[in-house]
Amino acid sequence: MMVEKKKTTTKKTETKKQEAKKVAPVKQEVKKQAAAPAPAAQNAVAAPGATTQKDARIGVFICHCGTNIAGSMDIQAVQDYAKTIPHVAYVDNYKYMCSMPGQTLIQKAVKENNLTGVVVAACTPRLHEPTFRTATKDAGLNPFRFEMANIRDQNSWVHMHDREGSTEKAKDAVRIAVAKAALLQDLFPKSVPVEPAAMVVGAGVAGMQASLDLAAAGIKTYLIESDMSIGGRMSQLDKTFPTLDCSQCILTPKMVDVGRSEKIELMTWSEVENVEGYIGNFEVTIKKKARGVMTPKEAAAKGIVGGGCNGCGDCDAVCPVIKPNVFEVGMKPRKAIYINHPQVVPLIYTIDFNACVKCGLCVTACGPEKRAIDLNMQDEFIKVKVGTVILATGYDIFPIENKQEWGYKRYENVITSLEFERLICASGPTGGHLVRPSDGQTPMRVAFVLCAGSRDNTGIGKPYCSRFCCMYSLKHAHQIVEKIPGCVPYIFYMDIRSFGKMYEEFYYRIQNEGAKFIRGRVANILEDPKTKNLHVYADDTLLDRPVDMEVDLVVLAAAIEPKADTNRTRKLFGVSCSQDGWLLEAHPKLNPCGTTTAGVFLAGVCQGPKDIPDTVAQAEGAASAASIPIHMGEVELEPYFAQCIEEKCAGCGMCVNLCPYSALSLVEKNGRTVMQVTEAKCKGCGTCGGFCPGGAIWMQHFATPQIVAQIDAFLLGGEE
Amino acid sequence: MARTKGYPEALEKKLKDQRFYREDSTPDFVNRIEKISRTMAHMCFQCGTCTGSCPSAPRSSYRIRKFMRRAVLGLENEALTDPDLWLCTTCYSCTDRCPRDIAPTDVIMAMRNIAFTHDIVPVNFLKTVQAIYKTGHGVPNNDVNRAAREKLGLTRDPPTTHMYPEYMPGIRKILDHYHMKENADRIVKEREG
Repeated sequence: MMVEKKKTTTKKTETKKQEAKKVAPVKQEVKKQAAAPAPAAQNAVAAPGATTQKDARIGVFICHCGTNIAGSMDIQAVQDYAKTIPHVAYVDNYKYMCSMPGQTLIQKAVKENNLTGVVVAACTPRLHEPTFRTATKDAGLNPFRFEMANIRDQNSWVHMHDREGSTEKAKDAVRIAVAKAALLQDLFPKSVPVEPAAMVVGAGVAGMQASLDLAAAGIKTYLIESDMSIGGRMSQLDKTFPTLDCSQCILTPKMVDVGRSEKIELMTWSEVENVEGYIGNFEVTIKKKARGVMTPKEAAAKGIVGGGCNGCGDCDAVCPVIKPNVFEVGMKPRKAIYINHPQVVPLIYTIDFNACVKCGLCVTACGPEKRAIDLNMQDEFIKVKVGTVILATGYDIFPIENKQEWGYKRYENVITSLEFERLICASGPTGGHLVRPSDGQTPMRVAFVLCAGSRDNTGIGKPYCSRFCCMYSLKHAHQIVEKIPGCVPYIFYMDIRSFGKMYEEFYYRIQNEGAKFIRGRVANILEDPKTKNLHVYADDTLLDRPVDMEVDLVVLAAAIEPKADTNRTRKLFGVSCSQDGWLLEAHPKLNPCGTTTAGVFLAGVCQGPKDIPDTVAQAEGAASAASIPIHMGEVELEPYFAQCIEEKCAGCGMCVNLCPYSALSLVEKNGRTVMQVTEAKCKGCGTCGGFCPGGAIWMQHFATPQIVAQIDAFLLGGEE
Repeated sequence: MARTKGYPEALEKKLKDQRFYREDSTPDFVNRIEKISRTMAHMCFQCGTCTGSCPSAPRSSYRIRKFMRRAVLGLENEALTDPDLWLCTTCYSCTDRCPRDIAPTDVIMAMRNIAFTHDIVPVNFLKTVQAIYKTGHGVPNNDVNRAAREKLGLTRDPPTTHMYPEYMPGIRKILDHYHMKENADRIVKEREG
């Protein structure tokens, strides 16, 4: 029934097609007119009339993708239909079009059948457009004579259980792709030189590792850090699992290397203010926030010989303003002029101008020789030019007080894991003695609440696994067993995710050391108001028995979340976010360091939760990826630029304001004001082309006649 | 089935419980529950937050997590014949805290609904139905209450069907529509004679 109906439709289609053909020459003329006056950017625009729709010979190649496509549609039916489409000179199918034999098949067919364009009906352009473009090029055609019909991701995968429907949809997709392929022009990518410098945003362990690698590869690197010192989250940790290295001990050498490297220009207390440009040529404005204290270099530049901060701390001693130290999670005081911790790099004091009362005592204490302090310092803006950028902006701790059942911030003896890290750390506020915040007593029973805010679909917490909480909680259990004889850690868990190298062995070790594991998520915590002890309520799911356990201290393994200013970062660098708010990688498996913006790469937790080994690995990957364009010296830009048809351009300038990439400008040419495109800046988004009231903008590879042909193919060729 | 080689029959019966993918498991049980309860019962990952939150659990043998598990596995008979099913007070603590955003309370209610269609329902629940049919209240007003209300300066009867008995026909109509009274009367009679 269905087939019969289709046959008649196809006949109708053919008559319609012929009608469409009659219209075609007009369209061609439009195209000729359009293409001809386009600026003769020597290699960018095809010679007018190079290929017309009339003599187009298109080859259609249908991929099975194993059973991914062939399993849910009738490939033979699509192939038979494709033969009936106008301009189609050759049709074939193959199990894996992207394989070497598949590509060879395309090349052979192009040569033997004298094809002018290639359509591959397979997966997505994002996955295999480069593959098939190369095949098209190797066959002797211009690579932009290739068009892809997506019959997998947007068809066979979503219509897995509708064989007839997906077959019909594939026919449509092929017809539409052929319509465009018949009108494609030869295009030539443009090469632009790459600035031999890189920028890394965020100087945690990811940013530092990436910078060190880039510097080691001989690339000038700007390392931007918004805090007063480098080291990030890792410098707040006491020990690292599973090896139990002291975090500072393994981090400090790297921090010193970063500070010392001649290739790394370290900018702490600085933020990225603005980003312009594109891969190879990013122009970045960096805001150097007023620090109030001059480095020896800055002092020398101002003519103060032998001046500048040497980190002696005399100012700290006299400052009368006391504030909580954010680095110590507010558990230790600091002055208005401060350093985060004794090992900071760079060792330069910073004034918190929100707290400073400008009494001037520090200026006196600093003395007439150093003269490092300038209470009237202003923010400074610096412009740098870089070829590639790595984002390593890290993460925030989820505000776990939002999960009210665990009582954080209501009960004194409920703390987060980061607070635990500072309390157990020898350089922390208690000198490494774990104490109850309520009375300073040593806790003897400590409950660890895992998945606190992670794996939570209620809308309050985070749906994802924060990935390192299991392991650091095991480490915490080890630390209290080691430091406090007789203290028992109780770990309330849903699953222990010890997935890394030597992690499961670490789990074994901690259990052997006496940690008690209770398989049940903590439902509720209540405080005994007299003793300030805590009652932890859960279900021991393995014993099938509700638990009411009285403990001295509760440690919440709070979830982590994307930085609060992720949105700003996103807009500055033109990168996307995934559903969970982390920055989006170009491909979750095959391109985890790249982004959808060429030349911008990701490293560390800003892309998604990961522990230190994974962070360092990704940082090295990102550094490698970011160094490639710099070492190549130039990058090819896709030739999807807008072109101005100067005869038609009225010089109204509306497009100039619309362009999101500032790629357009108005110039005087032959006594007329016309628009000009800076091709390297143009991303081919089509905003201007779609808007231009005079139709004076020609979008290469997405030209109006091409798109109209696709719409015609769909509307006139499909069922009414 | 585990072999029990000469062990008493009781042990054989006990071991039978260890296999849940048996012919008596009902695959669409969870679908029916979800249709009634409007919650994704099949997404339970057995963290135990529900039982941990449950005020009934420390005082009784009621284990809400166990019912969720039975829902997921389609153990219809086991779930419906367990008298613990009727120990939930519907306080909704578990629903408040469930990290998978499931409403275990509503799953229990759905199971009770299904159980009722099999006449599996404790007599005290049926007597509540009868009381509502009679007075509009599950727990009707009594003289002690009336005295207490008077002492507090309230009317002897609350402004409900007690004060406005003319609304009783409406309530009865609803109950009749679902054959609640008729079934309750029948089951109570069967049990108590």
